[in-house]
Order: sequence, then structure tokens, then C-alpha cells
Amino acid sequence: MKGYRKYFAKKLLWFFLTLIIAFVLNFVLPRLMPADPIANIMSRTARGINESAATRAMYENYVKAFGLDKPAIVQFTTYVRNAFRGDFGQSFSQYPRKVNDIISNAILWTIGLQMPAIIVGWLLGNILGALAAYIRKGFDKLLMPLSLFLSCVPAFGMAVILLGLFAVKLKIFPVAGGYGFDLIPTFSWKFIKSILLHYQLPFWSIVIISIGGQAIGMRSMSIYELNADYVKYSRYLGVKDRKIVRYVFRNAMLPQVTGLALSLGTMVGGALVAETVFSYPGLGTTILKAVTASDYPLLSAATLIITIMVLVANFAIDIIYGLIDPRVKATQFE
Amino acid sequence: MGKTILEVKDLTTKYITRFREDVYAVDHVSLSLEEGKSLGIAGESGCGKSTLALSLMGYYFPPLHYVSGEIIIDGKNISKMDPDTIRKNILGKEIAYIPQAAMNALNPTQRIISFIEDVIHAHYPEMSRKEIYESARKRFEELNLSPAVLEKYPVELSGGMKQRTVIAISTILSPKVLIADEPSSALDVTSQKMVIRMLKNLMEKGYIKSMIFITHELPLLYNVTDDIMVMYAGQIVEKSTAKDMIFDPIHPYSKGLMGSIIVPEAGARNTKLTAIPGTPPNLKKPPAGCRFAERCKYAFNECKANAVGLKDFDEGRSYRCLIDSARLREVYKNEQQ
Ligand SMILES: Nc1ncnc2c1ncn2[C@@H]1O[C@H](COP(=O)(O)OP(=O)(O)O)[C@@H](O)[C@H]1O
Ligand SMILES: [Mg+2]
Repeated sequence: MKGYRKYFAKKLLWFFLTLIIAFVLNFVLPRLMPADPIANIMSRTARGINESAATRAMYENYVKAFGLDKPAIVQFTTYVRNAFRGDFGQSFSQYPRKVNDIISNAILWTIGLQMPAIIVGWLLGNILGALAAYIRKGFDKLLMPLSLFLSCVPAFGMAVILLGLFAVKLKIFPVAGGYGFDLIPTFSWKFIKSILLHYQLPFWSIVIISIGGQAIGMRSMSIYELNADYVKYSRYLGVKDRKIVRYVFRNAMLPQVTGLALSLGTMVGGALVAETVFSYPGLGTTILKAVTASDYPLLSAATLIITIMVLVANFAIDIIYGLIDPRVKATQFE
Repeated sequence: MGKTILEVKDLTTKYITRFREDVYAVDHVSLSLEEGKSLGIAGESGCGKSTLALSLMGYYFPPLHYVSGEIIIDGKNISKMDPDTIRKNILGKEIAYIPQAAMNALNPTQRIISFIEDVIHAHYPEMSRKEIYESARKRFEELNLSPAVLEKYPVELSGGMKQRTVIAISTILSPKVLIADEPSSALDVTSQKMVIRMLKNLMEKGYIKSMIFITHELPLLYNVTDDIMVMYAGQIVEKSTAKDMIFDPIHPYSKGLMGSIIVPEAGARNTKLTAIPGTPPNLKKPPAGCRFAERCKYAFNECKANAVGLKDFDEGRSYRCLIDSARLREVYKNEQQ
């Protein structure tokens, strides 16, 4: 177990190093955008005020309130201090809403949409891939070209196709949003039904996209394992096929776990596309809005969340994988 | 004469390849093995040794197919048994096998003991895990292997250790016949010796009743097996006791194999180092006449014309060559001087 502790410490060190760099970049990058966020707020709040002295005073007031008059390094230390307290300030574009409030709302939608979709896509893809490798013949011949095709369709393409077909043409599902715009969030049956209806298209667009790639990966891993020497040896010792199939798919599955953890970690990044096409009220849509409005606080916080999720996912893969796969164990824990 | 444990009569098997070109890698092979005896099979790479090993077990799956012949293990004719019965009642229990690439023979994500459980459960489903562990531990100790190995994953074992673990697993059910396919070829000299000692130990303790030891280095069989069979292009070309084969090889191919490798033990090599020029024929289109004729320096026209049969000479020896054994001996003797 000493080897494992060293491995763990090494991974943890990398985790924090990357986190610090990401943290700085998250602060700097949005502020490099050539735009004036205050002008953005002004265009909404100062609407109707014509007197230039008053707008000037308001403008300066906002600049002061957001600390934009201070040097960048002071802004950064304030940001760091507040971030450590879990406070990301107020949003520019949805002023005076708190960034924390916006993000915690959006992230629920994102996780609710992405997590089940990614897991379902992963499971279906792996089962299909394993079956294709095991059955071969007709099933394989049908599934493989289809999977290849699916894995090549860009995410927005799939979303747009589903949207056009099932929402616009057939009118089975709603076009946009997380729930009917005329409803107030409650625990009523009507509201839940609306949520489920709005859920289908973004959900399946993500599922279908991920099935293809997963199936292809699982199929080739399984074929490789089915031809491994240990399969032949086990057979010649009389070991039951049921057991051998289990060895094969377990071994083929392990590398796929990495794929799952990674796509869970990067879900917010991938979410952007499906969410924006369907105007789903998640992080993706929020980021898009923050970018167009030069909303630094919201953008910094949102990207930080994504960074942390990706890093945590990677860290978790390394740690879990090191534990479950003896092959990794042997090469890493020396 | 001891009891015959394994009797093989005219066994022929083939690979059916993708383009319908059949490869008869085992061509009318007969052999017999008595209780307590070991048989060495030697020949260059590609001569069909591994295929013979697999064919002897009577269980075939593509691309390998049974063509004809009989395999009788301890009185049971298994060549007519149905595959499921063979798998359940014969493999691992009556006849067991150590694959050529034993380094990769174990599932990398399974502990050794867990695989042993699967092997034993396939034949004795009623045995409890505790009983299995106990008997495995005892057997490992008997074979001078640390029982700690049982808890390990294959990757945690060194090459030599992995090889010996595979041998222990293959023989865990005390099979009557053990077929070891190049069990020492990929190892360093020390590990090689340990492996050979372990196999002898298994015989002496009675965990296996007979053994077939396959190698591409004929001289290695010196002091290892009782009898030796030399294989060339899917056929047996010479059969005799180990002593006769090593000190008095008759077939030009056996002679070539003896001369082409340095022997560790003194006295076994009495000719100059002369590797046999050329390579074994492609078994998709084997030559019509003697299969070795192409590379044989003693070959004459007739050799390439008709297939050559196996014929007996001396006491209990046989070889596949048109030239008389006395004549060959004379030729070899003259060459030496
Ligand atoms: N899976 C296979 N499919 C088709 N041909 C094979 C296969 N395995 C071996 N062969 C052929 O059978 C012949 C004997 O091979 P093998 O039994 O492995 O020889 P050896 O063990 O003596 O090196 C060779 O000509 C080889 O090309
Ligand atoms: Mg071989």
C-alpha cells in the first residue's frame, strides 16, 4: 500500500498545480475580451435617462461597485479572497443577481440532463459494442457502419436534426426551454410532465451521439480480448464459457471506464451545444449568455466550475482506475 | 512394459484459413506414451508442434479442425466424444496443456487463486472455495512455489515465476498427460533449469502420469525426456529413445537439428556447428516427395518424386528417409573426420 500512497500523493500534487493555473487563467481570459461590460449594464438600467452627467455618474458608480477602477492585481486578490469564501460576486448581465445563485440553479439543470444521458449512452454503447464483438456476423455488419456514422455526426447536427424532425415538423416535443414558459416551478403533475417533455430531445441527442463512439471502442476492445491467449488457455483447461466471457468483457470494459469518467467530467463543455440548441436552462446556455454580455464574474465562475469538474473527474479516474485494474497498479506503483 | 496412458493413431488435423487453403499441420501422426514416461517433440518453428499439442487434446475450435485418427487416453477413446463432454471431463483433468506463450496465458485482471477456482469448479462444482484454496496452497508448497503467489495478479510475477505458476495451474487437477509447449523457451538459463526441475518433480511425485515436452531445440531434451520424436512439416521424421536420438540421430533433419545448436551438457554435441540452410516448406502446398528433400544435402532425384513412409530400423526406432540407416551412419562418420 506504500506504493499506492505515493501514487496518490503524486496525482494530488498535479491536481492542485493544474487547479492553480486554471484558476488564474479563469480570471485573466474573460477580461481580455474586447468589450465594456458596464456599458452593457447601462444599456439596460439607464434606459430612458438622457442627461449625460447622470449617466456618467451612474457609470462611475458601477465601475467603483465592481472594483473595475482598481489595478488588475488588486482585482485578482479580491477575486481570490472572495472565491475562497465561495462568493463570486454579482453578475453584470443579470445585475443584481448573485453569480452563485445563477450558477447553482443552472448546474442542477445541466447535471440533471447530462449525467443520465451520458450514463445511458455509455451503457447502451458498451452493450451494443460487446454484442457486436461476440455475435459478429449480421449484427456486427449492421451496427458498425451505423456507429461510425453516428460518431461522426457533430453534436449540434444531431440536436438540430432531432429538433427539426420531432419538434418543428412532427410537433411531438417542445422546441425550447426546460419547462413550459407559462408555468411556475412547483411540484405539480403538470409541471413534471412539462419537464419530462422538454427533457426528451436534448437527452436523446446526447445519448445517440455518445452511443456510436462507445460502441466502436467497446467492440474493438472486446475483439482484442476475445483473441487473447488467456481465452484459449482457459478453454483448454475446461473453464466454462460463461466465466471466460466474463473475463473478456471485464477486461474490455476497464479502459471504457476512463471514457465514462472523462465524459462525465467534460459534460459541461459538451453540454454547451445541446443546451444552446434547445435553449435548455443549464450551464451551457448560461456561459453563452455570459460571453455575449462580457459578464466577467459569471464567466469566471462558470469556467472555474467546469475546470474543477474536469480535474476532479480526471483525478477520480486515476485513483479508481489504479485500484481496479491490476495492470495499471503494476506499472504505476513501483 | 508399463500401462499405456496415451495412444494416438494416425491423427490428422488441419487449419481452415480464410481463403479456403487448408493447412494440414498434423499429418498422420501416431505415438504412444506409457505411464511414468516422457516424450520430447522437437522441430523447427512452423513444423506443427504446437498444432499437434492442441490436436492431442481432442477439442477443436476454428480455425483448427479434426480430420481423422484416434486419440485414446487411459483406455478412453476421446476422438469420438462430443466437444462439451471433452471440455467437462477430459480437459485439465485427464490431459492438460501449458501453452507456448505462457507469459500471456493468464487473465491480467484476475488473481491466481480466482482462476484456479474457475478451473477446479469447471470439473468439481461442489468443491468449496476454502477447500480449493487449501489444496492449491498445499500443491504450491509441494512444488516449492510460495503460496503468496495465489493472492497475486499475473503482472506482479516475474517471467520465470509466471511460467512456473502456469505449470502449477495446468497440473492442479493431476492430469494423466501433461503437454508442455516450449515451457522454457522464453526464459533465461536459470529459470529454464527451474522449469525443467519442476516438471520432473511433478512426474516423480505422481501429480502427472506422463508428459510431452515440446521444444525447437532438440539437444535441450538431453536428460529431460525418455523418448524423442522429431517433427518436420507436420510429419514425424524420426522416433527413438532420447539417448539414441541425441547420440545417434539418423534422419538428416535430426542430424541437422543436433548440429545446429550448442549443447550445455558436455558430450552431447559431437559435430561441427552447422545450421540447416533454408526454411521448412509452406504447408499450404507441401512438396509431393520427401518434405525435407529441398534442404537435404544427401537428396537424390527419387527423393522428390514420391512421398516417403515411416519405416522401422534397429530396435524400436523408426525414420522417414529413402537412404538406408547403415549408409547414413557411414556418411556421418566420414564427414566427422
Ligand atoms: N491459427 C492458424 N491458422 C492457420 N495456420 C496456422 C495457424 N497456426 C499455425 N498455423 C500453421 O500451421 C503450421 C504449424 O504451426 P505450429 O503448430 O505453430 O508450429 P510450431 O509449433 O512447430 O512452430 C505452420 O505452417 C503455421 O503457419
Ligand atoms: Mg509452437
